[in-house]
Amino acid sequence: MRRAAWAAASLLVVAVGLVPVLWILSLSLKSPATITDQRFWPSDPTLENYRGIFGSALFTRALLNSVGIGLLTTVLAVALATPAAYALTRLDFRGKALVLPLTLAVAVFPPVAVVGPLFDLWRALRLYDTWPGLILPYLSFALPLAMWTLTAFFRGIPWELEGAAQADGATPWQAFRRVVVPLARPGVLTAAILVFFFSWNDFVFAISLTSSDRSRTVPAALAFFPGDERFGQPVGSIAAAAVVVTVPVLVATLVFQRRLVAGLTAGVVTR
Amino acid sequence: MPRFRAALLAVLAAAPLLVACGEDGGPVTLGWYVGQESSGAYREIARRCTDASAGRYAIRLEQLPRSADAQREALVRRLAARDRTVDLIGLDVIWTAEFAGAGWLRPWDAERATAVSRGVLAGPLATATYRGRLWAVPFTSNTQLLWYRKSRVPAPPPTWDRLIDTAELLPAGQGTFAVQGGRYEGYTAWVAALLASAGTGLVADPEDPDRARADLAPGPAARALGVVSRLARSPVAGSGLSVATETESSDLVLSGAAALTVAYPTLYAAARADAPDLLADLGWARYPAVLAGVPSRPPLGGLNLGVSSYSRHPGPAFDAAACLRSAAHQQLAAVRGGLPPTLELVYDVPAVRAQFPFAVLLRESIAAAAPRPATPAWSDVSLAVQQVLHPPASVDPERAVPELRRRIDDALASQALL
Amino acid sequence: MSRPGGPPAPAGTRPRPIGAAPGRPATRRRRRRRARSAWWLIAPAVLTMLAVTAYPVLYACWLSLQRYDLRFPDQRGFVGLDNYAAVLSAPVFWTDLGATLVIAGIAVAIQLVAGFGIALTLRRAVVGRRAVHAALLLPYGIITVVAAFAWQYAATPDLSFVSDRAWLAERWSSFAVVIATEVWKATPFVALLLLAGLAAVPEELLETAEVDGASAWQRFRQVLLPGIRPVLLVVLLYRILDSIRVFDTVFVQTDGANGTETLSLLAYDQLAGRLNLGLGSAVSVLLFALSAGTALTFLLVFRADLRQLARREER
Repeated sequence: MRRAAWAAASLLVVAVGLVPVLWILSLSLKSPATITDQRFWPSDPTLENYRGIFGSALFTRALLNSVGIGLLTTVLAVALATPAAYALTRLDFRGKALVLPLTLAVAVFPPVAVVGPLFDLWRALRLYDTWPGLILPYLSFALPLAMWTLTAFFRGIPWELEGAAQADGATPWQAFRRVVVPLARPGVLTAAILVFFFSWNDFVFAISLTSSDRSRTVPAALAFFPGDERFGQPVGSIAAAAVVVTVPVLVATLVFQRRLVAGLTAGVVTR
Repeated sequence: MPRFRAALLAVLAAAPLLVACGEDGGPVTLGWYVGQESSGAYREIARRCTDASAGRYAIRLEQLPRSADAQREALVRRLAARDRTVDLIGLDVIWTAEFAGAGWLRPWDAERATAVSRGVLAGPLATATYRGRLWAVPFTSNTQLLWYRKSRVPAPPPTWDRLIDTAELLPAGQGTFAVQGGRYEGYTAWVAALLASAGTGLVADPEDPDRARADLAPGPAARALGVVSRLARSPVAGSGLSVATETESSDLVLSGAAALTVAYPTLYAAARADAPDLLADLGWARYPAVLAGVPSRPPLGGLNLGVSSYSRHPGPAFDAAACLRSAAHQQLAAVRGGLPPTLELVYDVPAVRAQFPFAVLLRESIAAAAPRPATPAWSDVSLAVQQVLHPPASVDPERAVPELRRRIDDALASQALL
Repeated sequence: MSRPGGPPAPAGTRPRPIGAAPGRPATRRRRRRRARSAWWLIAPAVLTMLAVTAYPVLYACWLSLQRYDLRFPDQRGFVGLDNYAAVLSAPVFWTDLGATLVIAGIAVAIQLVAGFGIALTLRRAVVGRRAVHAALLLPYGIITVVAAFAWQYAATPDLSFVSDRAWLAERWSSFAVVIATEVWKATPFVALLLLAGLAAVPEELLETAEVDGASAWQRFRQVLLPGIRPVLLVVLLYRILDSIRVFDTVFVQTDGANGTETLSLLAYDQLAGRLNLGLGSAVSVLLFALSAGTALTFLLVFRADLRQLARREER
């Protein structure tokens, strides 16, 4: 009886989680003729909307920008945060206690608070509407996120294995490569995925600091899609683009599920 | 590790270059940033000018969003960032002072100005002029007419009061009067036209930053706002007044719910395309007056073409602007896109007459139309108007006038939160 | 396992930080050298972080004291606190603050309650845990703008499969749509963190309480709640701060119409729409102060709990 109730509750959670996603998928498969049929499932599914958006440079360029900017942000953030997190876990130094709280403070400030100064700086430095013009502000949330996640992961690594390997005759480099790297890899990967999610998601910086397909990312492009006027916006194309950018999220979610949960909860919860 | 990071930074810095390179030799490319136009007239005109330049320049059409407010936002951000890809700008007539004042437009020199001013209607030409200089060349114009269903309204009412009376007598479901009451520039345009028709305005001395101030003579202003207030409280306004834009007005007319509306001639083009049965029943008349016996001042719209201060190719850009607005191309824009010309003689072309059976009234209305004040702070003033006077049903004419005056003065100082 | 010269690392315990190795003849110089190398490792990250946040925030403070509108470059000048006076005396600022607090307050409350429910469900669920996890991670990972469009279209007449009501045409129903979107998007995060927090509450404790005749409410109040209190507080703080800056959903769904404009949107309009960097920065700084003030108050009030969490984390 109780078990059935919990199972029903689980089912409800799954349904609530999935319905909006299925709804946007359904809209993306409707043709202009059936989009107003007010039905949850498309009666006559068509790929017309997808052909439309992949035929328009507006979307394909935005997709390229999103992927490029997201990957570069991720690589930079992880490259900078990994040594920092290593030092935070393994070394003692003055001011250490300040670093993580500072990171947390940086992570929660409202991005719109720096849009004005960044716009003013970027137009002077000619970074407005460029890739670096977005990557740099993205580091403001990517670095804290990566440092926080990595530090929590590194704390859980049995570092004594490194010493043990050296004791067994390995050189420090070998010990690092054969023992530390494999142990740290899951943490780095998780941090990388989370950082990518966050830059993939950003909207405030993307609409404020770009103005053309040179650097506009998908979330910003979605808000400016031109097209049919009936609803003030081209619903079918927006839905199709929305589905396309949700695919990477879906894949990452399914493949790295456990790691992502661990990464999200790391640092807040004891293991 | 450091080398790795250096390599990364190099990639980072090079990424946009990789995408932006190319374009050397041959004709210079001129980016023409202009709002979306659905008939394809702009694209065709740009193509013809590119061909006519015999290899000097190629115009690349860059479409901005459809709504004027969104177009402006996109443009000012580019120009404030000194974007060099902007050469030609499609300027809404209300932006001239703001863009010129900010230093984003190149003025037309005397020789060019004289050449392109010849034969241009006075009203549109004035919208391209600010502090004695010509900052753009008029391309298309626009103004609103009163449209009515002849079967329901025997004679077009000459004033707003008579108009509301007439509509109130019609049976429910047939008597809506459609007007643009949404919170956007179109609402400000309506308010400005009412004020001008009542003999006052929003801003006095708009072109002089030291003397510009709220105008709003108390009596006439209260009279004008009384129209908004009375209409918004009348059943004839319909339930959607506070969100209505041109699209909603046009839908109400085409669906038959509205017996009367004030709208740009695009309404006629929409009727011709979507509801041809309605065409024979659609009458037109001069924009209604506020005061009986005092001619109305309808709103003045339209598009001017300016050259960006940051353009790398000002010479070709000026030539291209002059080509785009030539008589032949204005005729094309009128016939294909339903956009009223700014060159007087184009109104007499038979093809244009066929497109606009009301051409005479249209030209007359453009001549009588009141431009919105040419202050560099216009967009702020317009937001202030929308903040004080929206939703329309909340307008209390006596109380709104002093409040509006205060807010406009703040806006003119660009020191108001809006 | 340990050998002379290496840091002592007795099996079964967590290693101590290298620099802190006690007792050994680790000379001061060596320790200082390690501290220095630690700074070399940490400096790039910290300096970059400060460069991309602290510097712009300070610059925003400086801009907020100036009359600086990019459309009137000649009029730039220092005006002291005039911008703040203009902002604080404008009714729109207070309306927008109200809207921000309404959205943040209601959304966070629902997120916590729903998140706790989901966490309890997941703790009990024997079948389909993977599916539930996936269904939680999807809203968490999905782009906020996409979520906003999905909910907007479900609230648009002629499109929606739900109702023919124009939800976004009126103030309180607009709030409802925005809040529903925010709840859908952020509840998974709350649920996953609370679930992890619940893991720290031993099952036996609950069973003992049940045997002792404690009701479900008593078990919740006296066993579960104290057990997850520190985690709950961190989640609460994080959600509040994230909700105060709500922007994407409102921008997409209403663009601030019908009294749903939030402070982030107000700042954006001054900065990006009007290019009034002075006024816009004043709004930004106030928003920043609101966030920082909330965080500080929170840290002071719940000092003891958070310290407990930090200790647990250190162990």
